[in-house]
Amino acid sequence: MGRRLRITVDYDRCVGSRICILTAPGVFRENENLQSAVRDPAGEPEEVVLEAARGCPQMAIRVEDAETGEVLFPPPELA
Amino acid sequence: MAINDDLLAPEVVADPYTYFAQIREEDPVHWNQRWKGWLVTRYEDVVGVLRDYERFSSDRMASLILELQPEDRDRLSLLINYFSKWLVFTDPPYHTRVRMLINKAFTPTAVERLRPRIRQIIDQLLSAVAAKRHMEFIKEFAFQLPVIVISEYMGVPPEDREKVKEWSDETSRVFFIRADEPDRRERSQRGLQHLLEYFEPLVHERRLHPRDDLISALVQAEERGDLLSHEEVLATCTVLIFAGHETTTNLLANGVVALMEHRDQWDLLRENPQLVRPAVEELLRYDGPVKATFRWVKEETELGGKHLREGDRMLAVLAAANRDPEKFPQPDALDITRNPNPHVAFGHGIHICLGAPLARLEAQEAFLALTQRFPSLRLADRPREYHRTIVARALKELWVEW
Repeated sequence: MGRRLRITVDYDRCVGSRICILTAPGVFRENENLQSAVRDPAGEPEEVVLEAARGCPQMAIRVEDAETGEVLFPPPELA
Repeated sequence: MAINDDLLAPEVVADPYTYFAQIREEDPVHWNQRWKGWLVTRYEDVVGVLRDYERFSSDRMASLILELQPEDRDRLSLLINYFSKWLVFTDPPYHTRVRMLINKAFTPTAVERLRPRIRQIIDQLLSAVAAKRHMEFIKEFAFQLPVIVISEYMGVPPEDREKVKEWSDETSRVFFIRADEPDRRERSQRGLQHLLEYFEPLVHERRLHPRDDLISALVQAEERGDLLSHEEVLATCTVLIFAGHETTTNLLANGVVALMEHRDQWDLLRENPQLVRPAVEELLRYDGPVKATFRWVKEETELGGKHLREGDRMLAVLAAANRDPEKFPQPDALDITRNPNPHVAFGHGIHICLGAPLARLEAQEAFLALTQRFPSLRLADRPREYHRTIVARALKELWVEW
């Protein structure tokens, strides 16, 4: 079992590119506004979640360790 | 005052914001009788249209083919064949497949590693002009930077940049809808043909000897399976080189004008370089490089109380959405600290600009360097003129002094 993740989408940034949904369909889904929403934070391995976060052209996705609060994405130089 | 439907009228080209504000207030989803299409101007409607790719298509070639006579279709077959593989003109599933393949090369994480090299290029360009204390900003800086960056990233050698620029400019004629150019489709096809002939051996060479550049990455994607065909690789090379040319140039030039006309904001950025990220977002919102983007209605629908029919074309007016007072407080003020700033300068939805992270990076480094090296920068006392186009917000020249 991987660690538990807290995944949040910033709706001032999310443009509905769908890249996260296509990269990690077990974690992200489309909401009624045609933006991305978290379906299940444990729906894909951590590396796939991070690939989805990195793939977002808008850097709208934040991934944290749910226990410790450690920020896994974005790294400090991009934040 | 009745809405003037001449999108290329001199006063509209000079100041699109006043013009689009009138439409947004009086008839936000407006049928332009002269252009024969819809203008969508409210933020909420623009975002709604651009997110709904199933109802609003980007397939420009489908509509172009319908407009053309059969003999023209034959004559322009090369143009149609390759443009129909350009990401900007395609819908899912093709768009999804190609976008997902090349997206990795343009993520914020991926382009971040170009930052030191971008700083170096900027430093060289500014050092070259520093002593003469004036320059034509577009030719000597704003054009050079993005072309050098995309050429190096793609693996185009320096000695070829100038001719690639000419072909790229020719290619662009068909869709920037510059006025008074009856042969623009033919010229566009010739430009594209040159680009294809140029990239063909380059692609071949990278297939034999892959390097750490974008063409090699595309070729390797092609070879990993039936992911990108040879024609798709070539089409993608041409769209990337083309997209890397004009848009960032205009972001930089329009940004300088905005900051010069709001000296307090220039000074604020100069004294607080950490504001450069929100500053670039605000420059994108305030006077971005692209005024509008095209869509085609795929199925009958209602928008803003208007009935849209299948096949209708529309312009989602980014420049109007970015100044919508329903979304942005004091929309006509330049405020480099604005936050949040959910502008649509890069478009919105699945076609959100692939190069946006790279353009942001280049603009951030450029405005940091300009404010630090040329704090006394000012506009020269010369008239400024914009190209007569519907889509691009592009100055012909921009003279500055320091």
